[in-house]
Amino acid sequence: MNTTFRQSMQGLHTWAGVLLGSLLFVIFWMGSLSVFDREIDRWMMPATRLAAPPAALALDRTVLPAAEQLVGRDATQWSVNLPTERAPMLLLRWREGDVRHVHHVDPASGAVLAEAGTLGGTGFIFPFHFRLHLKWMDLGYWLVGLAAMSMLVLLVSGVVMHRKIFREFFTFRPAKRLPRASLDLHNLAGVLALPFHFLITLSGLLIFIGIYFPASHWGAYGQDSKAKDAYTAEANGRFTRPKLGEPGSLASLDRMVAQAESHWAGERANYLRVWHPRDAASYVEVRRSYANEVTMNVDQVYFDAASGVELRRFEAAPVKNVQRFFTGLHFIQFDHWSLRWLYFLAGLSGCVMIATGFLFWLESRRARHARHGLAGVRVVQALTVGSVTGTIAATFAFFIANRLLGASATLGSWDRAGTEMAVFYAVWVGCFVHAALVARREPSLGWRQQCMAVAVLALVAVAANGLTTGGHLLNTLSSGRPSDAAVAGVDLLLLVSAALAAWTARRLARSPSPAPSRITPARRAGLGELA
Amino acid sequence: MSTGQAGQKWARHRLEIPARVLLAIGGGYALSAALVLAVAAALPPMTGLARGEAVVLAAMLGFLLYLGLLLWAFAPVRLRRVALWLGGVPALAWGWILWVVPSAFS
Repeated sequence: MNTTFRQSMQGLHTWAGVLLGSLLFVIFWMGSLSVFDREIDRWMMPATRLAAPPAALALDRTVLPAAEQLVGRDATQWSVNLPTERAPMLLLRWREGDVRHVHHVDPASGAVLAEAGTLGGTGFIFPFHFRLHLKWMDLGYWLVGLAAMSMLVLLVSGVVMHRKIFREFFTFRPAKRLPRASLDLHNLAGVLALPFHFLITLSGLLIFIGIYFPASHWGAYGQDSKAKDAYTAEANGRFTRPKLGEPGSLASLDRMVAQAESHWAGERANYLRVWHPRDAASYVEVRRSYANEVTMNVDQVYFDAASGVELRRFEAAPVKNVQRFFTGLHFIQFDHWSLRWLYFLAGLSGCVMIATGFLFWLESRRARHARHGLAGVRVVQALTVGSVTGTIAATFAFFIANRLLGASATLGSWDRAGTEMAVFYAVWVGCFVHAALVARREPSLGWRQQCMAVAVLALVAVAANGLTTGGHLLNTLSSGRPSDAAVAGVDLLLLVSAALAAWTARRLARSPSPAPSRITPARRAGLGELA
Repeated sequence: MSTGQAGQKWARHRLEIPARVLLAIGGGYALSAALVLAVAAALPPMTGLARGEAVVLAAMLGFLLYLGLLLWAFAPVRLRRVALWLGGVPALAWGWILWVVPSAFS
């Protein structure tokens, strides 16, 4: 075997990149947006653009009446997420059978807000990131897991393949021909944020140890379902007791929260769940906020619903806390604006790394494939353009649909939220079709046209927000409310996206790939050296 | 077929790369999962670590092990060795886990 380790890693990097790159781009794009998912929610759910929540919450006055009035008789549990600065409303949720109910309640007045009619950032963009909205047999989870492991392989093989990795910190020659410029940017984006790319990918996997290693407890606990319950109770907490089937009452939630917080040395609660509502055996679960720490703690206190007596307290053991620390490192639910922006920019650098990797592969293989009549470049070109600029265009179309569709808009059996998703998928598929149709013509045409479409869609989205909600930049930048700042942030990022997309379209127009006849053998060898 | 000069000398026949891919992804996962299970079972009696803690620790390390196996499967190692460690060994391990071990708990 006369191949070196570096050469085999180079081949692995190329193949893994070409095959998994599209999926990875979508995951990184949706993940980067998810850093600001609550800000996107404020933009997409105008009714929730409330003032900052009051410091003292009166849950008995605001939550109990809404829950009593709205939660159905068949619900086995209902839950409340307490308001934060980024999500300033009470989030009341329950499930009856397969149907999930969500209501927003004003924490100051207790008024139930108008139905959002959208999944928003937290309901569409964020779940897209970790399960692709593919629920059948958890296929989405497994594809994302495969992509994440491939990303780790790509990062390690990418480092191994470079002879002079430190020089790449300082090398970006945008004026050069496209293959050289895109390789430079690919290396720069990869190397500058390498610790982030590795840790964000690894921590993403660590969140789901229960899904990706479902048999991990078999050796220590056994293989039956009681073993699984024992493991869950020991590692994750969770108190359960069966229903009695007799009617029961619910004591003061405020007093339960106060008692739970007394155990937590000043830290607040962020979540409550009422199990077996309206039953005599009902109990209330209170969980602690992670606004002030990286670790997404699983601290829980359980109370008997009728009497308010404390039933159980749970705190995770040290190793579980390490896993939850990595979870928190990935989720960034803690309050820290500068880090949040760094995460967002680092995530976008990952998107740039993936997209420029594709650009480089396409441009450096184009001549050879054309000469040999291979379809590879055309197929990858269509798939790449569709998954890179197509995903971005579909996302902005999703935003526009949210603003332009009426609250009661339906499409067949879909309500407004479903129709918004349909618009996303329709535009996405349309971009793939467009990319396939123009693939035979000038190579950068698909990129350029979709970049211009992205720019136009971003501007339309900003205009739609201003026209339909009155929350345009002149108002939101001067209002001083955190939720308005969120809306302004989304509008500003849309404007920046439009500018970047337009610049990219012009840059791609200026540097077409060299025509096949002008590649001499010497130049071909030179380009091959780059790969 | 592989691109670049590296690929042509490394993969001796057309099925070598698909074979390595299957062994790496499928076999590597199977071997990692089996070792996670085994380490989680062995740590509590050996070190006194609580069972729930041992399971979480083993699962976390499992991802790093899987990464190593994925890289190794595509390194300049003979296909025969890859097939043994990522094919034969996990098959035996899971056969043992699924058919032999449950009797120890019943």
